[in-house]
Amino acid sequence: MIALPLVLVMGLAAVMAASDQGADSVLRHLYLVPTIWVALARGALAGGLVGVLAGLLHAPVVLPAVERLGITSQTLDGLLSLGLPALAGLLVGHLADGARAPAARLSAVLAIQRRLAEPGPLQGALTGVAKVLRFTLGARRVALLVGRDVQTALLASVPVGTLVDPDSAGAFTLATGQALMSRDLPGDSRLAGEHAPEPVPLRALTLPLVSGAGVIGVMAVEWTGELSPATRAAAEELAMHVGLAVENARLTLRQQRFAEELAEKIEAATTRLREADEAKTEFLSVVSHELRTPLTALQGFSELLLRSTLPPEKAHRCLVYLHTEACTLGRIVGEMLDLSRIEAGRAPELHPETVDLDALLERNVELFATEHRRHRFEWTRTAPGLALHADPDAVDRMMKNLLSNAVKYSPRGGRVLVSASPAPDRPGMVEVAVEDDGVGIPAEQLPRIFEKYVRVPHPDTAAARGLGLGLSLVKALAEAHGGRVEVDSLPGKGSRFRLLLPEANGHF
Amino acid sequence: MLLLSTPFDPAAAAARRPSLRPFAWTALAAALGVGVGAAGEMGSALPPGLGRALALGAAHGGLLGLGWLVATGAGPGWPGPVLRLGLVMTLVPMVARLVPWGALAFAAMPALLLIEVHRRPDLRALGLVGCRLRHALAGLAAGGFLGAHVLITASLTFGHRGHPSSVADYASALAYDAGANVLSAEWLFRGAIFSWCWRRASFWPAALVSTALALVRYLLDPALPHAPEARAGAVFYLGLVGLVACALRAWSGSMLPGYLAGLAFFAAYRTVAP
Repeated sequence: MIALPLVLVMGLAAVMAASDQGADSVLRHLYLVPTIWVALARGALAGGLVGVLAGLLHAPVVLPAVERLGITSQTLDGLLSLGLPALAGLLVGHLADGARAPAARLSAVLAIQRRLAEPGPLQGALTGVAKVLRFTLGARRVALLVGRDVQTALLASVPVGTLVDPDSAGAFTLATGQALMSRDLPGDSRLAGEHAPEPVPLRALTLPLVSGAGVIGVMAVEWTGELSPATRAAAEELAMHVGLAVENARLTLRQQRFAEELAEKIEAATTRLREADEAKTEFLSVVSHELRTPLTALQGFSELLLRSTLPPEKAHRCLVYLHTEACTLGRIVGEMLDLSRIEAGRAPELHPETVDLDALLERNVELFATEHRRHRFEWTRTAPGLALHADPDAVDRMMKNLLSNAVKYSPRGGRVLVSASPAPDRPGMVEVAVEDDGVGIPAEQLPRIFEKYVRVPHPDTAAARGLGLGLSLVKALAEAHGGRVEVDSLPGKGSRFRLLLPEANGHF
Repeated sequence: MLLLSTPFDPAAAAARRPSLRPFAWTALAAALGVGVGAAGEMGSALPPGLGRALALGAAHGGLLGLGWLVATGAGPGWPGPVLRLGLVMTLVPMVARLVPWGALAFAAMPALLLIEVHRRPDLRALGLVGCRLRHALAGLAAGGFLGAHVLITASLTFGHRGHPSSVADYASALAYDAGANVLSAEWLFRGAIFSWCWRRASFWPAALVSTALALVRYLLDPALPHAPEARAGAVFYLGLVGLVACALRAWSGSMLPGYLAGLAFFAAYRTVAP
């Protein structure tokens, strides 16, 4: 780009020398053409140099005329034409540089925005930004330190590889927000230690990266040779843009992460809703079956009693069946009413009193042992005379649910162990444990077994009847008493439910 | 990256200012040598030309010594190198005057300077390092262009001839330029003063200050013709040569291209004869 104008300048000088034109030759104005050409293309420095060359090449024409004629209007014009190309080159080049600088800065700002908008970790984007800055500012090294703490801040440098000292100039700017400038860094007395100076000065600048939240990082730049005021102004402007762009990038990243978390939560909630919906559908089919069974029995036996005259023994047996099925129906309806009450946000109605735990447990164990003769029931107590401060009906239902589950989810001949003792880890509480050696519960299902309508599917217990309400009811009742229910289970080994309820002050 | 890797104390005191006493002693010694030489020449106390050689050597020795003081900040141990450079520089022109082919002794000066600098690696920062071939060629081309320009302009304007009076005189003049004239100018004005100013300011102030001081040195040189047009020409061309040498020093990081530009310029200039 510069070679052709140079050839043009020298060709013009040769033409003027050959044609023996005077100092005021019209051709001298043609020196302006290549000078302005170079100035527009390469800026003030190149334009000025070509202008100086043009003036020097024109001098052997002008100076002899000055010597010969003295200072006349003609020679004065020639003398002025010696400096004119250089002046024009500098002026036009300066204007061209001034016009190009904002465009270059804008281009750099866009490149920075693009880099920071790229998907991926911020560290990689910062390295890209450092490369853009290094190219735009013509710097030897550029580093970006992003973060409020110098020890944990992200560091991106071009060329790669620098350490960060907590007392460095960069750390000072990060801490105070003050820019630092060094005209020759190795020789700067503020820099600790001895550093071999280089033949060319090493100019250095640290600038704070500022966003709405204050100083969020530092931009450190080193140049060899000149650092013009225009370049420094450009660096300051770009640091301002980088600060805002980095903050925007961080906010965008945070927003993306938030959106991802939200999407995950929505997906999880949707899954839960779908499962709940499925559970409710299953519940409806189960509940209709559970309700229909005693109802059918009630209908059948009552019709039998109405339509025919039965001998007293048979009639009595029918009445016993009717009573048992009516109790079952009552229990199911009671559980559903309790749960609907809990679901509506109302605590179950409790009438606490002192409960003789031994008697209650013994009664339940005997009852279940009578009903389920193929299971082995064991009942142990470590401290005699334990008493609870609880609603006896609620405790009774909790025990029946736990024992019922132990029976349902353990094979025939399985062992069900019931124990009661003061809770070793919870003073003032009594621990009632129901342990079986049944199918157990997979670990991933454990957190859900106290939810409503949840039944853990297992091929060996598929025929077991139930609404999936028992454990959620136990949990609700235990918590209503200020206690809790816990479970330990291993698939294939069995489960152990631990019920914690408040102990009564007195003992039986 | 020093900005991040090295502790930095923003409140640290600036480096101490060098004492002016060494500068005064060096200038005084040089002035004394110049005075003795001039007196010997004018009073015929010395063989013809020897007093002039003494004054010339003392002046250039003073310039080399001052350059050393600027470059080192007149730190401890300054008298040794300054005395060695000054004394040898004072003797070399006298040897050149008295001994046939004595001008070859000027070759000792760049060698001595390199030896002295070799003991102080920090002085490489003045630009006492090698340079790329294109930088050296650029220096020769710039100096050659300005030298050719001065020849053509002087020839067209004043009718000066473009060849030297004798080969021996021309060779002696070239040796003087290589070992004293250009060497001391580059060492003091570009190596020491330009570098010092450039590290504290920017290129243009440093180049203008060092070139202006170099012009003062040439205008004080009694060997420069006293005609106004010759002085104007000297200011113009030596100003350009100085600025070009500063630009070459900044561009290449080395003093060598500027030194070569000066040599090329003076090689052409020495052929100009009225």
